[in-house]
Amino acid sequence: MSLSLTDLKNGFNQVGYICEESTALTVFLTLQLGKPLLIEGAPGVGKTEMGKVLADILNTELIRLQCYEGLDETKALYEWNYQRQLLKIQMNRDLEDEQVREEDLFSSKYLMERPLLKAIQAERQPVLLIDEVDKCDPEFEAFLFEVLSDFQVSIPELGTIEANNIPVVVLTSNNERELSDGLKRRCLYLYLDFPTVEQEVQIVKAKIPGIGDRLAWEIARVVARLRQEGEMRKKPSIAETLDWARALVALNRNRLDGKLVGDTLNLVLKTHADQEYFKQEIGPQGIEQMIKPGGGGEISQCR
Amino acid sequence: MSLKNELSDQYLEENLAVFVNSLREEGLPVSTAEMFDALKALQQVDLASREEFKAALQATLIKNSRDLNCFNRLFDQFFVPPEVYQQKKKQVEARREQIDREIDQARRELQFKGESLQLTETELAQYKSMSEEQRERLQDFMQKTETGVNVESSFRPILESVVKSHLRYSRLNEGNNKNETDRSGKQGSGSSAGQGAGSGAEKDEFLCEMDIQAIKEKDLPEAEQLLQQLSRKLAVQILRRRRSGPRSGQLDLRRSLRENMRYGGTIFKLKHKPRRRSRQQILLICDVSGSMKRYSTFVIHFLHGLREVVRELSCFIFSDRLENLSGELRDRQDLNHLLDRVIRRSETWGGGTNLGVSLNQLLSKYPDLLNQRTSVIVVSDTRTISLNQATGELDKLKDRVKRVIWLNPLPKEQWPEFRSVGAVAELVEMWPCNTIGQLEEVLTGRL
Repeated sequence: MSLSLTDLKNGFNQVGYICEESTALTVFLTLQLGKPLLIEGAPGVGKTEMGKVLADILNTELIRLQCYEGLDETKALYEWNYQRQLLKIQMNRDLEDEQVREEDLFSSKYLMERPLLKAIQAERQPVLLIDEVDKCDPEFEAFLFEVLSDFQVSIPELGTIEANNIPVVVLTSNNERELSDGLKRRCLYLYLDFPTVEQEVQIVKAKIPGIGDRLAWEIARVVARLRQEGEMRKKPSIAETLDWARALVALNRNRLDGKLVGDTLNLVLKTHADQEYFKQEIGPQGIEQMIKPGGGGEISQCR
Repeated sequence: MSLKNELSDQYLEENLAVFVNSLREEGLPVSTAEMFDALKALQQVDLASREEFKAALQATLIKNSRDLNCFNRLFDQFFVPPEVYQQKKKQVEARREQIDREIDQARRELQFKGESLQLTETELAQYKSMSEEQRERLQDFMQKTETGVNVESSFRPILESVVKSHLRYSRLNEGNNKNETDRSGKQGSGSSAGQGAGSGAEKDEFLCEMDIQAIKEKDLPEAEQLLQQLSRKLAVQILRRRRSGPRSGQLDLRRSLRENMRYGGTIFKLKHKPRRRSRQQILLICDVSGSMKRYSTFVIHFLHGLREVVRELSCFIFSDRLENLSGELRDRQDLNHLLDRVIRRSETWGGGTNLGVSLNQLLSKYPDLLNQRTSVIVVSDTRTISLNQATGELDKLKDRVKRVIWLNPLPKEQWPEFRSVGAVAELVEMWPCNTIGQLEEVLTGRL
């Protein structure tokens, strides 16, 4: 797919996906080299979003395969429609003159395409998002990297099906378990970290157009500070930042204060232990300190 | 990286191959296919841009977030601006000249009947690293042999063999002596234990058997690398054990029916639900008071390498109170930097070791971490104020978790001297753990 690095960066900007230069470059290399891209990072940093955004930028179909324990080829690649085949056999049993042949039953009419086969057979180069690959079993992972190397599938009854277009493959992993070296070797690798305060302000402003500069800064600073707390069991994701920002806009607020943060805390901190930790160790005073004008430099630059 | 490699400056491909080799030397698994990918990627970027160049190499060569720090460090050392490179090149050349001069001198000094002995450069370098006194003794021996009665040129191979044995013995002995000296608390001088211990597998073996406290600052990077390797080995073992276990659990009726529809509903193949694999939960509690710091740091390093194969790794440090490091360890921070910072911070806590208070804090503040899947590993020499409170809290902890493994850095022969050791060993399983080898052995059999 011919897309220059500048086009790609512009594409990211247009769809509101704020990322570092090196991230854009890695995605660019993925497209140029035709290799799968393995994205790792903490939950909520925008790994899955990358697949969706790429489909948007390339103006193509997004085919998603959600991985889970127990996922096998019949759910990921293809399956024969046995019910339909049995019905066909039953229907023809009483008709003396019309014999049902085996080839008829094992034709594409009775083949149920699953995401991998769908991606291989797509007319236009699609984006194949294999989400949370670390959740699938090691056996399925081994099967997956076989498919990802050759982009062809052998169906005994039909023969080998080769990809019309090599799909753009994005794999995401939350690092729940170590992926095999074989799979990693076949992919380019991208680690997504939480955004900086400046980047998060840009993200908030891009996704919630009506939000004030000061509120966006204050939200980004508080969230960044919460992520720095070593004791936090679940760090707030970007999606949670956005939910919080939307809620505050809906409440017609243009500034944060200690009480407001305390009242809306459950939008950002999702475990009881984290909320308790916040109340005991940071509290409204801590928040006031974080967002005090001139206290950290960045706030004072805002209008 | 070898001297020759440091000086090679020919082509991008060659430089990349040397860089990949240096990554491999640090234990990063980079395949040849990935190196080709890197070359292809470099054709797509602006080579004049350092950021693009680095990003292309990172995306193609590094496949694990924990290797990123190592990659960044090596990249900054390897791909330096021209002026820095020239400066470095001069330094390397000067060092090479100095080594050559020393080796020449050693060759002149080790002669028999006017001819130099057939010794390798490593042996000659070992000779130069020996003390003045040792060198004089060896020269004296050679001179006496040379001037002895009925000594002919044919005696030369025997003398060479004797000198080689002497140099080898000196190399191994130097390291062991250092170890003993450090154990007795005296300050060593001269060449480092690492140099004395030779290199490669021999050095690893030496580091494995050395008291962790006695490992020299200079040898720490190698010791940490060794820890990483051992930890990775254990991680693979745990993973394999989990994968090779019985896979089938209860009968899956739905899948069995679905699978057998192709046979017209006759049940030929049974399908079973996959067994739920429960991953271990490890809770590490490390004493960071005084002499315990080094041991605790090593255990944290070792277990940090297992974090991807265990369900959850929680890490606490304590002296007079408890501090939770789990969050900071979960972040992709440089482990050395983090531990330096945290231990320096803990030095200001003051007070002695209070295990009882620390365990009490753990029981009351973190009850959700303590369940029957949790293995607790305590690293401490058991010396604490208010022993009774400590054993009481330990008893409560033991009942709440799967098991408690106590790693004691005190050598086992010293255990009877301490009442606290006996009191703790009555409650939980205790293992001596003052070398990397012991650490690996204890944890390999128990995780």
